[in-house]
Amino acid sequence: MLIIPAIDIIDGKCVRLTKGEFSTKKIYSSDPLGVAQDFERQGAAMLHIIDLDAAKTGVPVNQELITKICKAVKIPIEVGGGIRDISTAQKYLNSGVRRAVLGTKALTDFGLLSSLIKEFGSKRIVVALEIKKGKIAIKGWQETVDKNYLDFAKELKTLGITEILFTDVEKDGSLTEPNFIVLKELINLGFNVIASGGISDLKSLKKINTLGAFGAILGKALYENRLTLAEALNFQTPVSNLTKRIIPCLDVKDGRVVKGVSFVNLRDAGDPVALGRRYSEEGADELVFLDITASHENRQTLFDMVAQVAKEVFIPFTVGGGIKTVDDIRKLLQLGADKISINTTAVLNPEFISEAALAFGRQCVVVAIDAKKKDGVYKVFLKGGRDETSLNAIDWAKEAEKRGAGEILLTSMDKDGTKSGYDLELLKKVSEAVKIPVIASGGAGSLEDLKLAFTEGKADAALVASLFHYGQFSVSQVKNYLSTNNIPIRL
Amino acid sequence: MKIAIIDYGASNLQSVANALTSLGKSFEIVNKPESLAAFDKVILPGVGAAGSAMEKLIGSGFAKVLPKLKVPTLGICLGMQLMAEFSEEDNTECLSIIPGRVVRFQTDLKVPHMGWNKVELIKESKLTTEIPTGSFFYFVHSYYLATDLKYVIGQTAYDVDFAAIAQKDNFYATQFHPEKSGQWGMKLLSNFCDLC
Repeated sequence: MLIIPAIDIIDGKCVRLTKGEFSTKKIYSSDPLGVAQDFERQGAAMLHIIDLDAAKTGVPVNQELITKICKAVKIPIEVGGGIRDISTAQKYLNSGVRRAVLGTKALTDFGLLSSLIKEFGSKRIVVALEIKKGKIAIKGWQETVDKNYLDFAKELKTLGITEILFTDVEKDGSLTEPNFIVLKELINLGFNVIASGGISDLKSLKKINTLGAFGAILGKALYENRLTLAEALNFQTPVSNLTKRIIPCLDVKDGRVVKGVSFVNLRDAGDPVALGRRYSEEGADELVFLDITASHENRQTLFDMVAQVAKEVFIPFTVGGGIKTVDDIRKLLQLGADKISINTTAVLNPEFISEAALAFGRQCVVVAIDAKKKDGVYKVFLKGGRDETSLNAIDWAKEAEKRGAGEILLTSMDKDGTKSGYDLELLKKVSEAVKIPVIASGGAGSLEDLKLAFTEGKADAALVASLFHYGQFSVSQVKNYLSTNNIPIRL
Repeated sequence: MKIAIIDYGASNLQSVANALTSLGKSFEIVNKPESLAAFDKVILPGVGAAGSAMEKLIGSGFAKVLPKLKVPTLGICLGMQLMAEFSEEDNTECLSIIPGRVVRFQTDLKVPHMGWNKVELIKESKLTTEIPTGSFFYFVHSYYLATDLKYVIGQTAYDVDFAAIAQKDNFYATQFHPEKSGQWGMKLLSNFCDLC
């Protein structure tokens, strides 16, 4: 989330209003340029500048000053106030302003918005949705119009608008707390939402961040020293819409899925293709097939299965189990697998990881680690937890990364099959030790367990087996739950 | 209509081939540049590293032919990056089809950028017909194409806003894998086959 200090300008001076009322004007500085430079020095990633005179009158008043500020600082600037025709918007956007904020006019002139998006791209056009007592406010918040904000937001979405600035006028400058409900509604519609109005403390900022806002605008709270920009910047995180992945895991023996998969409406519950397709349709982000065939002679059935899955399922899938040579990997990838997972062979011969990464790219090399706590230390185990190694699981994860692993599939042998939740301590330690994605595995028994894998365990993906196979939850149920709980999820 | 999938010995073609088969499109895997003249559309897939891929494109003669193609051509993932002028990966001179450099993510976020991320469509293109802005696609990459906004059709946020879909004239490119991106990925491929 971006932390964005606000500079509101009336008559060339830096001011704040309370609840948008001009009569409440309080002057903080007569040098907005100095204020802007100061914010930049402190580490702000963007500035939000509003020409309040123009917001009221409809014609730019402080444009010259704003252009001057824009040239004096290096960080991007978004500008609002009085941008009601194409030439004013063009003037700003062509003179170095990154984003133009349109309020009043956007409400009535979709043609203007459309042409601006065409000319400058959706990222540079921000629609200010300002809400006063549930209605949409216009003209510097002097008036409201009778239009439901959600209906309006949906119309904007159809138009191609992606950026929204949301202000609850009742809260602005009130230093109470922002309107989280409306904020969440807008984020759920898929907009990049900047929250503004009433953000007065770190608690509010934290909440806005968890809700998944694109940015938060700080005004009065900074000017009145309720919080410092430095404190607020702790919540500044890189902007990303990358989602957490939910990955059903299927155990395969002799080319057939085994271990109690009980789907209704599925004629043959052992058919890996039908199951893979089913999970994919339900919204699975990837699939893992784990070959548990005991004998090596039956390898051909696995190859046939992989080829068949690749022909019919168009999401990424990983194949693991019994992979011992570079040729094994080549064969599986050629048949259409996207990644391969290696475990025992990697431990016995770490050089194998490097060979695989060099030959096929690290993105397709998943190193699976089975870990178990012993005397307070996480140790790497082989053969489903039967064979103990001397390796420390966290060190081994780091070494696997160094040698070329693109991902870690981390299974807690203590938790596997217990349905008592992931080993969050192990998960967090490994996730924070490596820069490559970590897939949590072993122990999921409830929806909350999955949530905790992401929030506490810092996992990038979660492998799910029995929770899905026995029909306890569907993939979409899990994903809806996580999304409701503010985990970024592809729905 | 004849579609060529270029095989320069560096990438896994099976997924793209499977996706086209599933869409009911006929195609041929082509490993000689002189054969390309017979095709109406060309797909340049790619997985792996820029340096060795470019070596293979040069060695096989494709590097000379590709920039001159007049038919709709789609670069996927590394295939997109190879269309740039230069890649920081192995300091590689690329095909110079789309102006721009391929640079590594400089971020505290995890690299590779792996998984499903949103693509915001910022410009119209036949390639994205009927695909809603904000749809998710599957990405796996550590580098991205830094290019002029005028070539960018769709953007994705991963600390920076990078080009997820680019287009210059008859050259189209996606950083994500449409063949692995479920419904909307398949839609994009069918748009390429039918509309571009």
